[in-house]
Amino acid sequence: MSATGTCEYQPKDYKSDLKPIWCPGCGDFSVVQGIYRALAAIGRPPHEIAFVSGIGCSSRIPGYTTAYGFNSVHGRALPIAQGIKMANPELTVLAAGGDGDGFSIGGGHIAHLIRRNMDITYIVMDNQIYGLTKGQLSPTSQKGRVTCTSRFGSLEEPVNPLLYVLAYGAGFVAQASPTDLVGMAATIEEAIRYPGFAFVNIQSPCVTYGEEAQQIKGLKAISETLASLGHNPADRLAAMDLAQHYGEKLHLGVFYRNPEPPPTYGDLVKERQALLSKDAPPKERILDLFIKK
Amino acid sequence: MATRGIDFANLSLKDALDLAILIEDEAQERYEDFAAQMDQHRTPEAAKFFRYMVENEAKHGRELTARRLQLFGDAPRSVTPAMIFDVEAPDFDAARAFMTPRKAMEAALASEVKAHAFFVAALPALKDVQVRALFEELREEELEHQHLVQIELAKLPPESGLSEEDFVDEPAPQ
Amino acid sequence: MRKDLVFGMAGSGGDGIVSAGESLLQAAAAEGYHGVMTKSFGSQIRGGESSCRVRISTDPILNPGGNLDVAVALNWEDFLKFGAELPVSGTTVVIYEAATGIPENQIPLVGVTPLQVIAVPIAEMAKSTAGTERAKNTVVLGLIAGWFGIGAVAVMKGIRKKLAKKGEELVEANQRAFDAGRAFAMEHPLKASMNVVASETKGQTKLITDGNDMCAAAAIFAGCQFFGGYPITPSTEIMQFFTDHVWKYGGSVLQAEDEIAGIGAAVGASFAGKKSMTATSGPGLSLKSEMMGLASIAELPLVIVDVQRGGPSTGLPTKTEQSDLFAACFSAHGDVIRPVLAPTSVADMFRVTIEAFNIAEHYQTPVIVLSDQEIAARKETLDPIDTSAFKIVNRLVPTSAELQDYKRFKQTENHISPISHPGMIGGTYLASGIEHVESGAPTNSGNVHQRMNDKRTKKFEPLKDRKDLFEVAGNPNAPIAMVAWGSIAGVCREALALAQAEGLDVKLLVPYLLYPVAEGVYHDFFTSVQKGLVIEQTHLAQTFKLLRMHIDLPKGLRPLARSGANPFLPSEIVAALKTLVSELQRSHEGNLQPQE
Repeated sequence: MSATGTCEYQPKDYKSDLKPIWCPGCGDFSVVQGIYRALAAIGRPPHEIAFVSGIGCSSRIPGYTTAYGFNSVHGRALPIAQGIKMANPELTVLAAGGDGDGFSIGGGHIAHLIRRNMDITYIVMDNQIYGLTKGQLSPTSQKGRVTCTSRFGSLEEPVNPLLYVLAYGAGFVAQASPTDLVGMAATIEEAIRYPGFAFVNIQSPCVTYGEEAQQIKGLKAISETLASLGHNPADRLAAMDLAQHYGEKLHLGVFYRNPEPPPTYGDLVKERQALLSKDAPPKERILDLFIKK
Repeated sequence: MATRGIDFANLSLKDALDLAILIEDEAQERYEDFAAQMDQHRTPEAAKFFRYMVENEAKHGRELTARRLQLFGDAPRSVTPAMIFDVEAPDFDAARAFMTPRKAMEAALASEVKAHAFFVAALPALKDVQVRALFEELREEELEHQHLVQIELAKLPPESGLSEEDFVDEPAPQ
Repeated sequence: MRKDLVFGMAGSGGDGIVSAGESLLQAAAAEGYHGVMTKSFGSQIRGGESSCRVRISTDPILNPGGNLDVAVALNWEDFLKFGAELPVSGTTVVIYEAATGIPENQIPLVGVTPLQVIAVPIAEMAKSTAGTERAKNTVVLGLIAGWFGIGAVAVMKGIRKKLAKKGEELVEANQRAFDAGRAFAMEHPLKASMNVVASETKGQTKLITDGNDMCAAAAIFAGCQFFGGYPITPSTEIMQFFTDHVWKYGGSVLQAEDEIAGIGAAVGASFAGKKSMTATSGPGLSLKSEMMGLASIAELPLVIVDVQRGGPSTGLPTKTEQSDLFAACFSAHGDVIRPVLAPTSVADMFRVTIEAFNIAEHYQTPVIVLSDQEIAARKETLDPIDTSAFKIVNRLVPTSAELQDYKRFKQTENHISPISHPGMIGGTYLASGIEHVESGAPTNSGNVHQRMNDKRTKKFEPLKDRKDLFEVAGNPNAPIAMVAWGSIAGVCREALALAQAEGLDVKLLVPYLLYPVAEGVYHDFFTSVQKGLVIEQTHLAQTFKLLRMHIDLPKGLRPLARSGANPFLPSEIVAALKTLVSELQRSHEGNLQPQE
């Protein structure tokens, strides 16, 4: 905010000219709007933001912003995002994608970004279905769900994204939904501001393949803000307790925020570079390392 | 529909006007987005109606902006777009591929109802007399808008009872 | 007196034979010799069979050598496991552990009578002088100093330096073991002296390093600021070097959670504007292929080092092979050209790695450096390299005027578009794996796809004119030719010298650029060629087939291809060349028959 209280950046400044390919009514329209608003509130110029995604309907999202975008390959938003962050720790780095991208094909990466505490905000648009490929079972589809790859009902338990990241020790874990747009923008903003790995699961309905209960109306019926429950976001165990209700209840807001954020990977890298570059020979003399006298 | 961080009790006339402009702006942008979505998804009649709504919202926005300029010139704005979410703009999930003009109009009508409800709900908290007067005026205008959409709706032939989904192709895998 | 000696030594991991080889190499360097050392191991982490080959010469060394001049077996079981990797011939002096109890006339080498066989009570001497059998390797070094005149002073100087911190007692024990070995050699002279002549360059500074360390050092010199990778034999030392040194130059390194994340992070770092690289071996290359395709379509500079080992799958993790050639050229789906470069020695790894970064940056493309286990793990003595002679290329960034209306994938005359990176005002764009128009916006237009494929492939045309990425040796008009790359090129260089010494009219082409195939260079080279060999360590003759795919090869050109691990010997290549010469003579005689 400037001295007069006017935002230097408006949400529209983060909106690109590309027209989304999403189906009209898709939850992702509101997610991208939430991101515009969060970025405007933070006020970082678009060219200092890198926004990475994988593959899926929701992974088109970086192209709909004016940030430096990278719409990469399936499941690999996080590895690319961490390379960007390590190469230039001054950037604001966002990663986003769907539940399949994040918890199925790319599921192995989350744990490692968390344990490295990479200062990246990861937004998953969770719709419990593979939309881009026409409605197959996703890692968060509930057991018994009938899809075109589970004609007789799925035989698997879903992944619980919230418990997953909490268990690995993420410093910031939240959930949002288009049922509460203001809350969603505020949550994304808080996640970006958190110094360290921040995860936001957004229940974003698929209007084409989603079940009735997972549309806005259905979600509204089961949603509750964590604030209204008196949840203390510094209490990780309480957060895990609440997170167990993923799929039955839609808890909105911050599940966990580490009250004392540890140094990020980027901080530690800078420290190490400063320490070791002091007496470094110029790189033109690097072959001297191999001299045997 | 939601707001964030608006102190209704202490809202000045300038802030109230700015807020009203932002509400119209948001609705205009949403209708533009909807029209573009309908273009993209080959739903031309709904696109045409949404463009009609873009014009309506823009016109109303221009009137409010003129008043604001007349009263307060270019004095800095202290309310922000982040304070309002979907006040008069139709909900994001109100659009559908292949939606009929009737469905499009119903979506617009629902958002005018929503906007009316916003002003109704805000009124009791307002202290400033001028602000109250403005909100009452805006509330009435929303009723007027509802009426306009209802007129358009009445012009439509009765629905056949068939669903567009019964005729269209299946979605295409990407 | 000899100018060149090849030692091959084997024992169990506990015998410290590789460590003895390293001491020998360092001593040789200190005495001004050129040296090359390769190591080979069994699959056990500790205590399995291990061996090394040390070649020492007064002249620059082209390869680790063929048949051994000196074979050292601390036990026969381990020695024999290396088979053709440690070939004994009629000119080899065999030294072995007397405690094996095998008489000198009954050593288990079938079908060969070595020049001389000597049983030495190595373990006993170690025990009696140093108080432990562990000092066997030091006794061996003493024997070598006594019999071959290498390292009489320098070996102990090196050991003294290495053990200085561990106390005088240990140094003295080693000194006694060394002296005992040397004394034994003096008391039992060889039938024919094999002393190496003194080097004329004694006292000059020499570098000693292996291909992996050289690759990493070259990368840092070239300006590489980020390494993302995952441990995999035999490439891991590249990542280790980065973790030791890259921080000093403002860069960073990530040991990623898997091969895909390793290259993914490198792709991200490149997108962020930094020179970056990853390194791996065959299985990792397979995993990285999708990301390589992404870097190609997003036109991001990236260097990928593939240190080849025997494949497919886990294959032979500790042995060398050249069978990743097809994968390097063709892995990742879609129509794509990805330059592939190959060093032939530790020394030229420096140049090739810098070239890889330069090509990656200039052409905005992933580039593969196709190293192999032998180059990666072999240690070479090198003369100091003048780094100021190397040009460093950086990517083309947009001018402020270009940023006014920036199009990341703008069509240009040379198909290379200025590339922005996060932080650059006006340069924001969408990088993507999906096909895109000039601005970067996604498209599924067939016409755009055609144009962009044109852009992404035609930009490499000038690369094919880079004659400096090829080495031609021998008579340029010779009718007989060899083509070889990677570590096999070194063997062929020696074979060329041997063949020329025998009066054969032969030439050799060594490509450092393997892909895209520079048709023109090969065409020129093959003009005079009637017969020839493409010599390669692949089972399927991949190099030969790659060339045949692109070039009309001379009819008489054929592959000399074999699976990895077992080395090519210069002598067998010369024999194969002789066959070609006699075939050629016969066909000429045939042509001289009067026409009927």
